[in-house]
Order: sequence, then C-alpha cells, then structure tokens
Amino acid sequence: MKRPFQLNTHISAKYNQELEALKHSVLTMGGLLEQQMVNTLIAIEEKLPNLAERVSLNDAKIDGMEQQVEQECMRIIATRNPAASDLRLVMTVAKAANDLERIGDDIVRINRLVQSKGMPDSDFLLAGLLDIGNRIVSMMRGTLDAFARQDEKAAIIAHKQDSDIDRVYKKLLEQTAEEIKSNPEEIYMWMDVLWTVRSFERIGDRCKNICEYVFFLNSGTNRKKISMKKNLKRLLKNG
Amino acid sequence: MFKLFEREVIAVDELSLNQTGIDVRELSVEFDGKRVLNEINIRIPKHKITALIGQSGCGKTTLLSSFNRMNELNRRHKTTGEVWIDERNIYNKRENLAALRSRVGMVFQRPNPFPMSIYENVCFGLKIKGETSRRVLDDAVENALDQAALWEEVRDRLFDSALTLSGGQQQRLMIARALALSPEILLLDEPTSALDPLTTLHIEELISQLKKTCTIVIVTHNMQQAARVSDYAAFLHQGDLIEFADSDVLFTLPAKQQTEDYITGRYG
Amino acid sequence: MKRSLFEVKQSLTELASLLCITVIVSAFLGLVFFIGIQGLRYFLPASVHLVTITYPDQRVEKYYQPETVDKSSLLADINARLVQQYSDNPANLPLAEVVHTEDVIEIRTESGEVYYGTFERLTSDKNDNLTITMMDNLLLTVELLQSQLSDVQENQLMPIHRRLAGLTERNVDENVQLFRSLQGDFKRWQSYVTGVNERLSLFNIVIKDAEANDIIIPLSEISSLISPNSVTLFDKIVIFSERLINFLSEPPKQAATSGGVFPAIFGTVLMVILMAIVVSPFGIIAAIYLHEYAPENKTTLLIRIGVSNMAAVPSVVYGVFGLGFFVYTLGGSIDQLLYSEKLPSPTFGAPGLLWASLTMGLLTLPVVIVATEEGLSRVPKGQRQGSYALGATKLETITRVVIPMASPGILTGLILAIARAAGEVAPLILVGAVKFAPSLPVDGTFPFLHLERQFMHLGVFIYNGAFHSQIDANVASIMFASCMLLILIVFALNITAIVFRGRLRERYERSLL
Repeated sequence: MKRPFQLNTHISAKYNQELEALKHSVLTMGGLLEQQMVNTLIAIEEKLPNLAERVSLNDAKIDGMEQQVEQECMRIIATRNPAASDLRLVMTVAKAANDLERIGDDIVRINRLVQSKGMPDSDFLLAGLLDIGNRIVSMMRGTLDAFARQDEKAAIIAHKQDSDIDRVYKKLLEQTAEEIKSNPEEIYMWMDVLWTVRSFERIGDRCKNICEYVFFLNSGTNRKKISMKKNLKRLLKNG
Repeated sequence: MFKLFEREVIAVDELSLNQTGIDVRELSVEFDGKRVLNEINIRIPKHKITALIGQSGCGKTTLLSSFNRMNELNRRHKTTGEVWIDERNIYNKRENLAALRSRVGMVFQRPNPFPMSIYENVCFGLKIKGETSRRVLDDAVENALDQAALWEEVRDRLFDSALTLSGGQQQRLMIARALALSPEILLLDEPTSALDPLTTLHIEELISQLKKTCTIVIVTHNMQQAARVSDYAAFLHQGDLIEFADSDVLFTLPAKQQTEDYITGRYG
Repeated sequence: MKRSLFEVKQSLTELASLLCITVIVSAFLGLVFFIGIQGLRYFLPASVHLVTITYPDQRVEKYYQPETVDKSSLLADINARLVQQYSDNPANLPLAEVVHTEDVIEIRTESGEVYYGTFERLTSDKNDNLTITMMDNLLLTVELLQSQLSDVQENQLMPIHRRLAGLTERNVDENVQLFRSLQGDFKRWQSYVTGVNERLSLFNIVIKDAEANDIIIPLSEISSLISPNSVTLFDKIVIFSERLINFLSEPPKQAATSGGVFPAIFGTVLMVILMAIVVSPFGIIAAIYLHEYAPENKTTLLIRIGVSNMAAVPSVVYGVFGLGFFVYTLGGSIDQLLYSEKLPSPTFGAPGLLWASLTMGLLTLPVVIVATEEGLSRVPKGQRQGSYALGATKLETITRVVIPMASPGILTGLILAIARAAGEVAPLILVGAVKFAPSLPVDGTFPFLHLERQFMHLGVFIYNGAFHSQIDANVASIMFASCMLLILIVFALNITAIVFRGRLRERYERSLL
C-alpha cells in the first residue's frame, strides 16, 4: 500500500499551515546542520580553531530549535488530535528533530578535535576525515532531500550511502590502530581522533534513521523489519 | 517477541461465526426508491464495541436501525438482504418485532424519556412484556439503573418525573431503560452528541463496562470518541461499507484512501 | 435617507398593528361590558319614579316607571319621546313631571307579575285595616295555612283520589260501601280545602297605584316586597343575590319575562354532556386512525378534505339533516319497532334530547378530529421510536405513550366542541330545543333520563326572547342576563380548557420544549 502523502488537503487551512511549518522546521534544522558540517570540514582542512569554536557555539541554536519542534508537536497532538498519516508526520518530525539534534552534538565533538590540542599531523588522517566528511555531507543532503519530497527512492539511495561511510570508517579505524601501535606515546591524541571518527560514523547512522522515517511516513510500517534491499527491488519493479 | 502492550484483538477477517454478534449479508435499504445502503456485508463481533463512522447521510443510522428493524417505521422503505442474529435471519417474514426489539435495545441521539416517573420509564419495556410482579420490577429497575451508573443519583427520587433529570442523566436513563430488558445487543445512535465532554466521558466509560454483557454498536460523529471507545470500527461512505477493521488499525493505518481522508479531516 | 425611510416604514407598521389590536380589544371589551351591564340590571333593584304627564286638555296620566337612570335623564327621555310623538302638533305638547317618591313599594308575585304603588293597608281574616308592621305576622299565618293546604292535598286528597280512580277502573259499583265512604271523605277534605282557601283569600295587601286606584294582591301570591327607593346598600346586595339565585334556580315565568332560566341551563348542560359522550370516542378514534393508521393515499386525503369541509357546513344544515335523518327516519323506525302501541303519537319520532345531542355531535365532530390530530402530530417522533425500541407494538405505543402526550390537544378539541354546542341555536330549534318545556328531561320516574323529551336551551331561550318581545324593558333585561350567563358559561369552558391543557402540557410536553 502506497499513496502520496498530501499535506495541503485538510479542510482546516490553519491545520495545513501548521503541518507544513512543522515539516519545514525539520528541513530548516537539517539545512543548518549541513552548513555546520561544511564549516567543520573547512575548519579541519584549513586548521581553523576559531571557525571550529563558532560552529560549536552555533549548536545551542540547534538545541533550541529541537525544543521548539518538540513543543509544536505536543501542541498539535493535543489540539488537533491527528490521526493516521498526520499523526505519523508529527511523530516522525519529533523523532527526526531528535536525531538532528544528536547530529549537532556529534558535530560539536568533531570540532573539539580542531579546537583543543590540535589534531595529529597526518596526511592520511586529514584525507580520510575529509573523505568521510564529504560523504556525510552528501548523505545528509540526500536524506533531507528525500524527507522533503517524501521520496522513497531518494531515501534508499541516501540510505545506501551509509555502507560506504562504514567502509571508510573501518579503514580509518584500522589506520588509526596502526598509528597507535607505532606511536604508543601519542595514544591520547589518537584517542580523540578515534572519537571523532566515531562521531562521523554516528552521523551516518542518524541520517539512515531519518531515511527510514520517510518510509514510515509513507507506508506506516516499521521499515526495520523489511530489508532495504527488498524495498529497493520492489520500488524499482513498480516504478 | 516480548509484548510491552497487551491487546487481544482478533482481526476482522479472522472472526469465527460464534464470535459474531450480528452477521449482515448483502443488506440493501431503500427509502423512497433512493438507495441508502448498498449491499453491506459486515460481521459485528460479539461482546465488543463496534463504531460506525462516516459523514452525515452515509447510512450509519440506517444500518444501525436495520439491526432491530426500526427502519420499518418509515412506510416507504424497502430492505433486501439478511441480518443474522443468534443464528436467525431477523428479516424473515414471521419475525416477532416486539420480541426482537426487546432483545436488541436502542438508545437515540437525543434522550427521549417518556413523561412518566424514572421508575416507570425503566420498567416500561418489562411492563409491555407483561411483567406485573412488583418485586421483579423493583429488582430490574435497581439493576438496570445500577448498570447504567445512575442508581446512586436517583435512588431517592425514583418516582419523580424523568424530565427533571439533567441531559447526561436522561441519556443514562435511556441506557438503563434499554438494559432493563437485558438485551443481547445494544445499539447507540450518537448517544453523546447532545452532552458535554465530561458527561460524554461518563457515558463512554459506562459503554465500555457494558460490553461484558452485550454486543454494542455505536454510531458517532466524533472520531476521537469512536477511537476511544470502540474495539472495531466501520467506515461508511454514501451507502457503501468502505472499510471495517479493528480500531487500532483503522485509526492509525487505514487501508483505504477514503477512510484516511475522513479520519484525518481532508476533503472527501 | 434610506435609513429614515426604513424607520418610517417600521413605525407605520407598529402603529398599524397597535391600531388593529386596540380595535379588537375594544370590540371584545365593549361586547362584554355591554352585555354585562345590561344583564346585571336584571338583578339590581331599580329605583322607581312617579311620572306625571299633564295634557293640555287637563287630562292627567300618572304611572310608576322603574329606571336605573336618575330623575333628570328620565325626564329628558320622556320629553324627547313626547316631542317626537307630537311633532305634527306641537301646541298640544303635554307637560311631563318626574317625582322621586320614597314611599313607593315594589311587589313581585309568584307568577312573575310586578306591581308598583304606595302601601294602603293590609287585610286579614279578622281585621280589615292593618299597618305594614303586621306584615311579618300575616305572612307567617299565610305560610302556615299554605303548608296545611299542601299537606292535606298530598296526604289526604291525593291518596283518596287515587283509590277512587282505581275502583272506577275496576268497574266497582258506585253504591258499594267503600266507594261511598271514600267519596264522603273526599268531599269532606275538599270542603276543608275550600275553607282554607277562602280564609287565605282574606289575607291581602292593598296598594294604591299611581292613579290612586286600589290594587288588591293576595299575600299568598307575593314572592317579594321591597321599597326600591329607600333600600340600603346591604339590602341591595341581598336583593341582588336573591334574584341571582332565583334566576339560576327557577323556571321562566310570565312567558319568559321574569323568573329564572334553570331549565335552560339544565337542558344545555345535559345536551352538551350527552354530545360529549357521543362525540369524544368517535372523534378521537377517527383522528387516531387518520393520523396513525391510514395509508397516505388519495382516499385518506379525501377523508381529510371531507372532515375539514364538515367544519365549514352551516349549522342549520346539520339541523335539517338531524330532523330529516335522525328524527324522521331513525326515530320513526324506532317508534315502529319499539313503541308501536303509542302510534300515531310519536315517542322518538319527534324532536328530542337524543337527536339534538347526536346532531350537535355530528356538528362538532370535525372540531374534535382536527384538534386531536393536531395533538397527535405534536407528539415527537423520538417518543414513538423510544417506545418501539423497547418492544412495544403499535397499539401499545399509541395507548401508553402517544395518547397521554396528545391528551392536551384532545381535551382542547373536546372543550371547544362543548363551547360551540352550548352556544349553537339554529340546528337545535329543528331537532328538539323548545321555548318552554313543561318538564325536565331528568326526573324521578323510570328510566329517569328521558331522551325523547324536548328540552330548553339557553341559546334558543335567548333567541326566542329576543325575537318575541323587544318592547318590554324587563324582557330585554332577562335576555341580557341570559346572554351574560351564556357568555360566562362559554368563557368558563374555554378557560377550563386552557388551564387544563396548560397542566397537561406541563406534565407531558416538557420534553418537547
């Protein structure tokens, strides 16, 4: 069962506006986070602690937004008694906002690497971080795009990007382990790197969650039960 | 898998015959040559609360009234199809309507107490049935009022006019009046549409208590109410049964676009 | 500009409606007051004036004139009449004079005659010249004699007469001992009665009328003696209530110029009760059939149209129908079947109470049907549904729920019908109401209620009175009094209907509001 999600068809125009604004707030949050991510990558590449600090400070804004979204969701549930697809939208928005807020926290953690003692001077590390970072940015973009358009195909494509990210993550882990083995005296510095890399990976996971919400939003089924591959096959067959 | 939330809801299409309270087969109703119900097939589960929802004029009340043949009060009506209650098609020619209606109680949208005392109102049906023993009547009145959660409020003024009661009390009196006949099935036609929200909640609570003893079918315009009280829900649209499912499904993940549009308040 | 035009229109509408209401209310009040004042004059003692008219030829005419108006307006009245009378011969215009004399007395006799005059003397069996102070004593004596007389008549003469009649019927020879002794007794008692009567005739009051002629009135005939020009307020009230009671409890006297209207009230009430007994089951059942059972087709529509047209048929047509169908056809057949021994004198084949009741029942049937249907349609659908839903059949629903709730309407219809029948005249003249009925339709002889008898009716009584005697002021006033009574009866019935309906509504129709 699949049917296009229609937002603008409620009898109450105000309700339409409210749901539209709610959905839009997630996209706004996502856009801001994308910007944060891009800035973070610049800070890493150019080694700009000031920029990194600004990014960290910006996170408070995202926390505030998440709170607002949560309140709005509660208000809509209380006053509008949404049912079926409307209810799913509200729930999804609440959950997505939560995930986005966590992404923000992860970005702050990544920036800490640039800010504090400085990251180890290593080419492979820089290249690896930028690689995984760029992949993350692209995945975030794809996810938000899929969420905005309720596009299941786009969601699956974005969802699949996570496996690449995992691959890069694993490679980075291995290299980091090598580095620690060879320079045990720098272990504390590399531990920070480890956390940073982990944060990147976590962002990927959260993007994956949001992609899954797109399916929940559309079909109401919890997509974790169904393999994404099956979904993809089905979608390709249908469309 | 470990279950966090206990729910014992049998899916609609898995209902067996002896779990069925009312079995409607190919039921069509016409008023004045205009089709109001169009070949309805539905199995109303026994000892559950089933809500009928849909827009005004979609045939909810007609469907409800066909369960005790109240439609026949309108002279220009025509019913085809079958309604089976207790392994009997109530639309057979020799059906005793009075007996049927005492087994299938009905409560209407607006409380319509007779201009008699509370006591007389409750035992009206029993007296019609020919019950004369004062003791039996007294017991039945107390029982019915107790079941309808009204006994404590009116025990001291049983012989006052029923018209002195408040709206919510009157509606509970109407339920008591139907319960006095110990019906198997209780039909409620928008029983709370004229009442305030708190009184409505009282009546809803009362309804969910009653399903222990009767099969309950409720027509309501209030979606939240249908979602709150019902175990099953049927959505009707212009005389057709669009969807019938357990309420958990119908109000979270309806199978049909029309149902979805109706319950989320979209253009029909 | 537009606004002011609108305001003008509005105030004009208000003014017009106010005017209409004023006209209606004043017409109604005028009717009630006119009838009421004219009617009350019958009960109030009028003051009596001595009118002296001196003609140019020295002829003098004197008479007593009872009038409620004062002296000067009475004089003006008389003068105006004289001027009109002598308009072609003004030179001979007589001179009128009105004197208010204190000592005039008014005597009403049992037979309804009224005498005015000044007291002259009282006579008794012993004395020919007694003063007014002896009046009470003499009256007591007269009363005693009268009671003796009626006692003898009832207890002695009547039984003897009956026994004699019985003997004659059995062809007993007149020379039988018993027969003779009875005849002797009879003669003896008769002579006793004659003696008492002779003695009674000596008790008289002598008054002088305006022309100073003696009028001798036997004391036994007097029903009231007052001096109208010197009564106190208290006396007036006493006289008023006495006359009112007499009016309500006595039969008419002197060809309906005085006395009371009791038989008419009795006849009206009895006829109306019989009519209600006839009309209510028919009307109510018909209305229930029409409203609850009749299929909605052309026949039903025709019946409905018929019923409403029945209400529009002029009442005299009902009278003619009643005479032709009930009296001649139905009554005639009953006489032939059951009372053939009395023919050709009719029993039921003549106008009478039963036929009048049936005719009036027919006449008021549409009122009852329409009002009942109205009441039935006021019963809300929810009540019927509720009853059906509890397993009641149609009959049970109608008898237990619908009729109690429709009872205000039914009752209204019935009382409207009664009010109408109480005031109807034309058909009653044809089917049984008469100007004067010698006996009431209810008495002590079997079968107590005599449906074949003719009866008196208040409306017919007024009609006859108004028709026959417009000249006599006293007759006019008894007619007005009867009118007032009729209006009061009809009002009382209507008010009863309203009050009763209100009560029933309170009880049964609160759920409608």
